[in-house]
Amino acid sequence: MPDKFERLDCGINPSRGINVNTSLRDKYCVVGIGETEYSRGSGRTTRAMGAMAIRNAMNDAGLGPKDVDGMLSYHGGDSTPSTAIMYDLGMRPNFYMDCSGGGSSTEALVGLAMGAIEAGMADTVAIFRSMNGYSNIRIGGTGARASAPIGGPDLMKRPYGLISAVQQFAFTFTRHMMEYGVKSEDLANIKVAHSNHASNNPKALMKQRVTVEDVLNSRWIIRPVAHLFDCCLETDNATCVIVTSAERAKDLKQKPIHIMGVQGRGTKPGGDFHYQHGPISRVAGHYVGPRVFESAGVTHDDIDVTGCYDAFTYTALLQFEDYGWCKKGEGKDYVSSGIINLGGKRPNNTSGGHLCEAYTHGMNMVIENVRQLRGMIDDYCPQAAEGIHTYDYSEGKCRQVKDANISMNMGWGTPAVGSALIMRR
Amino acid sequence: MPVYEYRGISVNISDNDSEYKGYFEAAAEHRLVVKKCSSCGLLRGEPGPGCPWCTSLDWEWQQVSGKGTIYSYQIVAHTVVPSFRDWAPFPIVLVELDEQSGQPDPGDGLRIIANLMDQDMQPEKEENVAIGSRVEVVFYDAEPGFSLPQFRLSGEPPTGQVWRH
Repeated sequence: MPDKFERLDCGINPSRGINVNTSLRDKYCVVGIGETEYSRGSGRTTRAMGAMAIRNAMNDAGLGPKDVDGMLSYHGGDSTPSTAIMYDLGMRPNFYMDCSGGGSSTEALVGLAMGAIEAGMADTVAIFRSMNGYSNIRIGGTGARASAPIGGPDLMKRPYGLISAVQQFAFTFTRHMMEYGVKSEDLANIKVAHSNHASNNPKALMKQRVTVEDVLNSRWIIRPVAHLFDCCLETDNATCVIVTSAERAKDLKQKPIHIMGVQGRGTKPGGDFHYQHGPISRVAGHYVGPRVFESAGVTHDDIDVTGCYDAFTYTALLQFEDYGWCKKGEGKDYVSSGIINLGGKRPNNTSGGHLCEAYTHGMNMVIENVRQLRGMIDDYCPQAAEGIHTYDYSEGKCRQVKDANISMNMGWGTPAVGSALIMRR
Repeated sequence: MPVYEYRGISVNISDNDSEYKGYFEAAAEHRLVVKKCSSCGLLRGEPGPGCPWCTSLDWEWQQVSGKGTIYSYQIVAHTVVPSFRDWAPFPIVLVELDEQSGQPDPGDGLRIIANLMDQDMQPEKEENVAIGSRVEVVFYDAEPGFSLPQFRLSGEPPTGQVWRH
């Protein structure tokens, strides 16, 4: 299907005056990926899940515990420190950091892993995220988080019943709806596309294909911006990606996936208090996008598959606009055009993403794109394990994108915080 | 300040909270205040320690009129906070105060989060919540020493585009 949308200028247009370091382009690779089962009831600690995900990624890469000498993780007070899990895996890192952060940390930590290696602090870095996001500390804010005493900036929000992630973003969403005429049906198209993708993913928590009507008939969470099916799936899981130099990657088990460009946690003016400034309906991708395209040396039309953070349907729509896949206000048309569907010009979140595969704070979207670029998607194709795919995208079949050469991830932290990663095979 | 209870939430404003203590001390006296930069004179909607425009760390509290316009809103149909369930569905509004609207940059404003309440201090009906509607501050006295700034419709003609879903 032809893509009729007009692009915003990329960073590689010199008129934008973007000046980023491009000297590390293609010098680092993702060489290993791993995850636990995606479940709602892991029956295990974040320590046990973290160890399993990292071990799976090491096995995937063909690396032993002596070969991985760096660890990075991110958390919101809901995980286990690297210093515990390194014992469980017999590792003795030369470098580790456990970073505070949620969505958009994945891409940023890929960049930090490159920096740590470049600085000589480590040679090979495992990045992990582990969370009992359903059984213990729920991302939606229920349970322990809802009853904790409040102070500081929460004083201006929590006494008004504003606590959950979708509520933190809703003023941006509602205002965007007013300014650009977005309807619930437009948002539902994102869920429908991702649910179709998830139906071809044995790992997905929610494999059932849904219709626009199903989304509109699911109960309201926050009017007018989110029905239940516009919201991601709280999940118990751990995930891992391993980064090393392109030189080291040559000897490893998998086809190396090269990091062309990365930008980490770029922000809007005002940070946490971004809504004090305008335009409120603009998100961090406006700032991150030109830099990541410059960093990678590619334009929108070079990208074959995207991973656009779908904590809510609206986060994906806003990022498509502000990363310049279409003009501001055309996000509703972009997501409804078929482009983002498997079989379309540039499928998005082919695993089902946060809406249908699992909520992982962004890791599963990077893992999925690594699989896409390897040509090794784990779908229902009979010879998927050998990398042979049918490209039949009907239910219960294939989700490998044909000739996927370059992918882009767009991570969302808040309307004000975002990261991006462009990789190639 | 003591720990206050409001709708099942423990509100803990520490004595060294240089951002929010003065805001709630003024609210207890039914005054809505914002921080004013002592250097450039600009007001800021979030009571942080520094001026976002000139970086000065010198500030003073400035009382504002408490009149404004609904800039955005959300209707909480499902709340994750058990003590708010009897209110659902209820509105939370982002109010742009009249002072310094569109200054210093056209998209800037002093914006405060609150519930939109009715004349009986109950959540306003959903059909009365709209971007562009005029509002005024009202203080809910939760406990002696702790009052929560809230807003209610002022009945004035709307400002700019009026929109509701």
